Amino acid sequence: MQKNNPDAIVIGAGIVGACSALSLTNAGLKVMIIDRGSVASGTTGAGEGNILVSDKDPGPELTLALKSRDLWFELQEDVGDSFELEAKGGVVVARHDSSALMKLAEHQRAAGVTAERVNSAELHKLEPYLHPDLSEGVFYPQDAQCQPMLAAARIIQTVLARGGQLVSQARVTGFEISENTIKGVVTSRGTFHSPLVVNASGTWAGEIATLAGSQLPIAPRKGFILVTEPAPQYIFHKVYDSDYVANVASSDADLQTSTVVEGTRSGTILIGASRERIGFDGSMNFEIVRKLAAQATSLFPVLRDVQLLRVYRGFRPYAPDHLPVIGEDSLISGLWHSAGHEGAGIGLAPGSAALITDAILGRDSFMDAQAFSPQRFAGARL
Amino acid sequence: MIAIIGAGPAGLAAARAIALAGFAVTVIDAAQKPGGQYWRHRSTVDGYKATRSEKYFSTVMGNPLVTYINGAQVWSATRSEKSIYINYLQSGVEKRLTCTDLILTTGAYDRSLPFTGWDKPGSMTPGAAQALLKGHGVIAGKSIVISGTGPFLLPVAVGLAAGGAKVEGVFEANSPLRWLRSPLALLLNPEKALELLYYLKQFRRYSIPVRFGKAVTEFTGHSVRISDVNSDMTIKKTNVREIDCNVIATGWGFVPDITLGGILGCNQVVDKDGTVVFSVDNNQRSSIENIWIAGEATGIGGSDLALAEGHIAGLSVIGKRIPFSLNFSKFRKRLFARALQVSYPVNPGWKKWLNRQTLICRCEEVSCGQILDSVEELKAEDARTSKLFTRAGMGLCQGRICSRNVAEIIGESKELRVSDSERIAYSNRPIAAPISLGTLGDGISSK
Amino acid sequence: MNSKVNFTFNGTQYSGEEGQSVAAALLNSGVTSLRSTRFNGEPRTIFCGIGICFDCVVKIDGVANQRACLIAITEGSQIESSQ
Ligand SMILES: Cc1cc2nc3c(=O)[nH]c(=O)nc-3n(C[C@H](O)[C@H](O)[C@H](O)COP(=O)(O)OP(=O)(O)OC[C@H]3O[C@@H](n4cnc5c(N)ncnc54)[C@H](O)[C@@H]3O)c2cc1C
Ligand SMILES: Cc1cc2nc3c(=O)[nH]c(=O)nc-3n(C[C@H](O)[C@H](O)[C@H](O)COP(=O)(O)OP(=O)(O)OC[C@H]3O[C@@H](n4cnc5c(N)ncnc54)[C@H](O)[C@@H]3O)c2cc1C
Ligand code: FES
Repeated sequence: MQKNNPDAIVIGAGIVGACSALSLTNAGLKVMIIDRGSVASGTTGAGEGNILVSDKDPGPELTLALKSRDLWFELQEDVGDSFELEAKGGVVVARHDSSALMKLAEHQRAAGVTAERVNSAELHKLEPYLHPDLSEGVFYPQDAQCQPMLAAARIIQTVLARGGQLVSQARVTGFEISENTIKGVVTSRGTFHSPLVVNASGTWAGEIATLAGSQLPIAPRKGFILVTEPAPQYIFHKVYDSDYVANVASSDADLQTSTVVEGTRSGTILIGASRERIGFDGSMNFEIVRKLAAQATSLFPVLRDVQLLRVYRGFRPYAPDHLPVIGEDSLISGLWHSAGHEGAGIGLAPGSAALITDAILGRDSFMDAQAFSPQRFAGARL
Repeated sequence: MIAIIGAGPAGLAAARAIALAGFAVTVIDAAQKPGGQYWRHRSTVDGYKATRSEKYFSTVMGNPLVTYINGAQVWSATRSEKSIYINYLQSGVEKRLTCTDLILTTGAYDRSLPFTGWDKPGSMTPGAAQALLKGHGVIAGKSIVISGTGPFLLPVAVGLAAGGAKVEGVFEANSPLRWLRSPLALLLNPEKALELLYYLKQFRRYSIPVRFGKAVTEFTGHSVRISDVNSDMTIKKTNVREIDCNVIATGWGFVPDITLGGILGCNQVVDKDGTVVFSVDNNQRSSIENIWIAGEATGIGGSDLALAEGHIAGLSVIGKRIPFSLNFSKFRKRLFARALQVSYPVNPGWKKWLNRQTLICRCEEVSCGQILDSVEELKAEDARTSKLFTRAGMGLCQGRICSRNVAEIIGESKELRVSDSERIAYSNRPIAAPISLGTLGDGISSK
Repeated sequence: MNSKVNFTFNGTQYSGEEGQSVAAALLNSGVTSLRSTRFNGEPRTIFCGIGICFDCVVKIDGVANQRACLIAITEGSQIESSQ
């Protein structure tokens, strides 16, 4: 292949790789993106496009999420083309006891999140089709949404227009490393040299780290999404029940389901989300599908007559402590990781890209990225 | 417990074999009446060998060993070690049938190629025209043009003419000389010559003109434009003729319906002509031990082959030996099916008929230009990524009509062959039919 | 001869033969469009005839997106173009 050796190579054409490539490009580097498939062929092509602050506890992830959310809107200015970015707002409904939700909201407010407690009348004004018995919730106006595949594609299109390269259908099979320093990436379509490599291969980031003689504890956490036929607008925000917050943070390997319901511009309704740790097992599980449907219709009875069209599944990249891994490898210099964003990779992508670019260039950043450092797993047995 | 999904020729032949041997069997089908796509059974219409179905109906329907569940759309199926669970919708209620052995005979549907105006009312598949006529006694239109490729165009033309429509012409894209490539198949299937003679007679009787090497490349809503096409299906000469008509029926062979077997995990292979079919052994057994598959779902071959395969599957399920004569009959008909593939190919040049405005995905109204842009600008490289960007194939039909065409358009624009794994990916879907969220969430309460 | 079944489509009274599908009965009555498309507002009616393409979807007695080519007409049913 006739390709120029770049200043930096990004492995992964998902949303994290796309955003990393753009921020490195905007910092003046010539970037090459490598993927074994095409744009958005990994988890980015199998997720929803929620950009959330509402589901996060105060801490480094929330700080990242808040910044990242704002960066999404700057990114849209930069990229110039639409990927259906919309500040929709999120509504979290307390199904049973609301005290845990209200406490979380209070802590989030202290951390700078806009979280408005809403009573029954306000709740039903926000979401007129919600089950009449549901009487309390929290409204998060900052929660947003985009079409993630389109976003990844538009961002990569911008990188290419600014002198970057995309090498698709090229599987990374190894690295050229000398004296613990990265020299190049070996792929099924040839070897590319660069002193700087960003591993943005999501759920497969652990495999990539292993190829470099290092390690990273990233595992898949499977999720199903239900897609309905196009329906009239019944759902106006992203609506979920407060169990979701507990599930997101759970380390339990067993199945968890909690309703997340949202409408899309095309009229279809997306219903998530299940979480299971069962490896890369792609098989269908209709019991999970039924459970998600039951939960969604209990929030929105009007959905009972809406038909399911399709179900899809993806594998969230999962780190043991639920935090992404952003920073330089603990063993190999020149190898950087930005992966493991679990169920929030779309939301966190621009912020993660800013962090890693700042770290690579030795610039000050908007937050201390220590909590995300790959060093935290150094020496751990996988 | 043995179950059969599909009451077409293949399913009925299997049920007949099982019941005649004294075993019980349950047949389940989405349609109200048995017979599948072929035996639609309206007394007002007859066709070639129409009475042959009687033998199957009379031994299967009303037989105490056969339970027939009609109007039952199977939307999903799962399996455990020993059992298969079939979930179906009947009048809006979800029910479950549990069996130990399953025969899938889910048939096929018409393959469509896009052209300017194919989305206008009046444009339909030959299968639709046939179903309207044989199933509902309705003639699709007063003046009808039939185009595409394959032997199926003949009975459709004759049926419509006999029903009183003016068939303005049959425009077959391929040359009849292609049959010369399959002498053995013709030699071993002499009865097909009789069938052809029958149709020729009917064509004369109703004065239906037949033209070869031509295809309809545009429909205006009240007329069609016909072009001369080369053997690779590129256009030799555009708009050589315009014919007034209110219906244009175009069909390009059939697409096996593999959804259910795919959901159950049965292995599939890509046939020479790019269709995805199940791989089965000589006894029609799939890669899964207690699932057999017969009829069009294992490869397009017409009703005669479907009957032989269904018969074999039925005997195999109950552990009976397959007589040599039956195996030979299947062999003969398979050979003929191969000859059909050779004689009526859909060669890649059809993409040259398209322009940027031509609609490709009917459900989500995605044009050819949008698909090409998703490749050029957004770097889509296959039907799946293009779908994520353009929504082509995401609509109500879930890509049943367009996904193969999308994949081939993208393949051509990138000068790449569509890979087998992509063909298998776009041919499968996670559920076989839509189901309301209420019904789904309620689960199955009783049998 | 089969018996007549009466139904309405977008408020107008139609009839068809017992056992006929909604799409067949309407086509036979001269109705050439069952709905208009979501984005471009183009007319659509029966295309595949056997429940595959979903071009013929209509609202039948309040339930949206039903395939008119599969569902038989029933006395008094109210059919509307899906929106
Ligand atoms: C059901 C579900 C719902 C979700 N909903 C949301 C949501 O609403 N909001 C949100 O923010 N997040 C959501 N997520 C999570 C989100 O989708 C992910 O966190 C995010 O897509 C991860 O992006 P990525 O770029 O890191 O990984 P990916 O998109 O998986 O990209 C990694 C890329 O690396 C490539 N790759 C892997 N191995 C190799 C190799 N050896 N050589 C070359 N290339 C390789 C892959 O092909 C892939 O394209 C959801 C996830 C799931 C499964
Ligand atoms: C519209 C149409 C019209 C045709 N007309 C003719 C003709 O007139 N003459 C001719 O020679 N050939 C005709 N054919 C070709 C036809 O495919 C074969 O001749 C023959 O019918 C194949 O038999 P089969 O048993 O394999 O499948 P089919 O006859 O197609 O039977 C399959 C059966 O499976 C059922 N089924 C499929 N999926 C499900 C599900 N999920 N749940 C419940 N039931 C299900 C269907 O309702 C159907 O009854 C036609 C094909 C089509 C598509
Ligand atoms: S005409 Fe195709 S689904 Fe009814």
